[in-house]
Amino acid sequence: MSVKPVNPPQVEAELPGSFSTRYMRINVGPQHPSTHGVLRLVVDLDGEQIVSLKPQVGYLHTGFEKTMENRTYQQCVTYSNRMDYLHAFAHDLAYVLAVEKLMDARVPVRAQRIRVILTELNRIASHLVFFGTGMLDMGALTPYFYCMREREGLMDIFEAVSGVRMNYGYFRVGGLYQDVPDTFEPMVPKWIDAFPKHTDEYFNLFMANSILKARTQGVAVVTRDMAIDYALTGPSARASGVPLDYRKAAPYSGYEDYVFDVPMREEGDIYARMAVRFEEMLESCKIVRQALDLLEPGPVKDPDRRISLPPRRELENSMEAVIFHFKLVTEGFHPPKGEVYVPTESARGELGYYVISDGGSMPYRVKVKAPSLANLQSLEPSSIGGLFADMVINIASFDPVLGDVDK
Amino acid sequence: MSGATSVAALRAAFGGAVERDDLICGDAVVWVAAARSHEILAWLRDTPGQDYNYLVDITAVDYRDPELPLEVCYQVRALARAEDLRVKVALAKDAPLVVESVVNLWRGADWLERETFDMLGIEFEGHPNLRKLLTPEDLDGHPHRKDFPLGETPTLFNDGRFLDPAAFRAGLTGRNPGLTGWSGGARRGVTSTEGALPGEGRDKA
Repeated sequence: MSVKPVNPPQVEAELPGSFSTRYMRINVGPQHPSTHGVLRLVVDLDGEQIVSLKPQVGYLHTGFEKTMENRTYQQCVTYSNRMDYLHAFAHDLAYVLAVEKLMDARVPVRAQRIRVILTELNRIASHLVFFGTGMLDMGALTPYFYCMREREGLMDIFEAVSGVRMNYGYFRVGGLYQDVPDTFEPMVPKWIDAFPKHTDEYFNLFMANSILKARTQGVAVVTRDMAIDYALTGPSARASGVPLDYRKAAPYSGYEDYVFDVPMREEGDIYARMAVRFEEMLESCKIVRQALDLLEPGPVKDPDRRISLPPRRELENSMEAVIFHFKLVTEGFHPPKGEVYVPTESARGELGYYVISDGGSMPYRVKVKAPSLANLQSLEPSSIGGLFADMVINIASFDPVLGDVDK
Repeated sequence: MSGATSVAALRAAFGGAVERDDLICGDAVVWVAAARSHEILAWLRDTPGQDYNYLVDITAVDYRDPELPLEVCYQVRALARAEDLRVKVALAKDAPLVVESVVNLWRGADWLERETFDMLGIEFEGHPNLRKLLTPEDLDGHPHRKDFPLGETPTLFNDGRFLDPAAFRAGLTGRNPGLTGWSGGARRGVTSTEGALPGEGRDKA
């Protein structure tokens, strides 16, 4: 395999060959706090201005897709949430929705509502990390502590539900692992009622802050045409005036039952990308409130024995139940032949699993359409011509999760 | 959300270059000739009424079968009506694995094509910078090919017996009837004590 050097040609042509003091090449990362993970950037500078920027990714490549192709469908839930560890529920949801469509599984309404509540709360938690770490890149240390304080309340909810603070693995094909604990229903409204008071505070701290505005408005602009050309997705695309949100365009998991807006901006600068995410947190609160109001007792798993394990009590007096239990655990279920792609909306953008089944109990092919990978491509065109210090906040404004880029 | 109407338009415009089409799980899928894939994708992007102006994803599938070729899949979207179309290009296994790059249609194809090149070894002709994206530079081979080894260790049991993970999993693929031939159904006449018959009344393939 011949690998070409990374030197950008336009810079090389101007280098006299022996020694040049005009351009400076800076290597940012892979281990660097401002790159939000293991991202490496090779930046050529003319003074402080960026002449060329080449992102190098792959440091976190784990081969999740290949591993999933060698595990049964239910086991794959262990891997899906490890890609985007900040919005893990979204990855679980995207995966189980794809397999459920393949299987024609019928997910009970209660399970769908709980999925929506958890995914939206996780979206808020993800955006809080975005604000905390993004401000940190601008030298503002305080917002990080405010954001982490709020996120802590959400982590407690997720821990009560799934037992862990990250990598939940709580959604299963056909429903949920188990019903939520009794503490869930009081915990969520308590957090949701307190949050708007804090968002007022945050609005004054971040979004209405004139220093932040001066630093971000009109900086690193992605125009609408550029966003479409570079396949920008999610909040970053909506900040550039591309109005696509799959919760509205093709509602899944019962999103059609909730009234909410999709925040939009036209400017496409860093401030717009932050503003869209800020408003999205409030919209997510609205969705969670409505879903809580509509939450009614009921089953949380598809009763189809070909997908879900039989209840424990049935194992004591039914031989068939024991056989189903054994077969589902050792071998798993067998979706019919086919292929499926279900687009969903994660905190980073369009997320979908392209799953191909050959009739076996392991997926034949899994391909993740990861929003961070698509978004990170826009970093290069939007940073060139700008200042080096602006590039650092520009990385944060696309909110990449490198586990999601590298898979 | 399916581009079934576009398939008919494609057939009218390109005739024999559209090899076949299908509706799988509600998604329109169309197979086109490798030699004309770029032309067809450009037509889908630029023709008024089609307007597939957004490239969602590029990937490829290795069917591990001498009869079935490698397939390159493009998922394109008409943003205005949120309609997707999956365009597939089947490459013959003995011929060189080359398709024309679509970076000049969508700049976002850059990394997606590099990833596909890296993972499945498909070359995109005309790509400005076709290098590996994710795997280390000194890694030989393409990890998402089905013949790429997983590198697992067999499990040793007390009696000296080995369980080879690959051999165990071979029983779980669609080509094999499974450990006992069971594919998820119940025996006829068997009822559950919970009332609901497993999978009763649903027609699944």
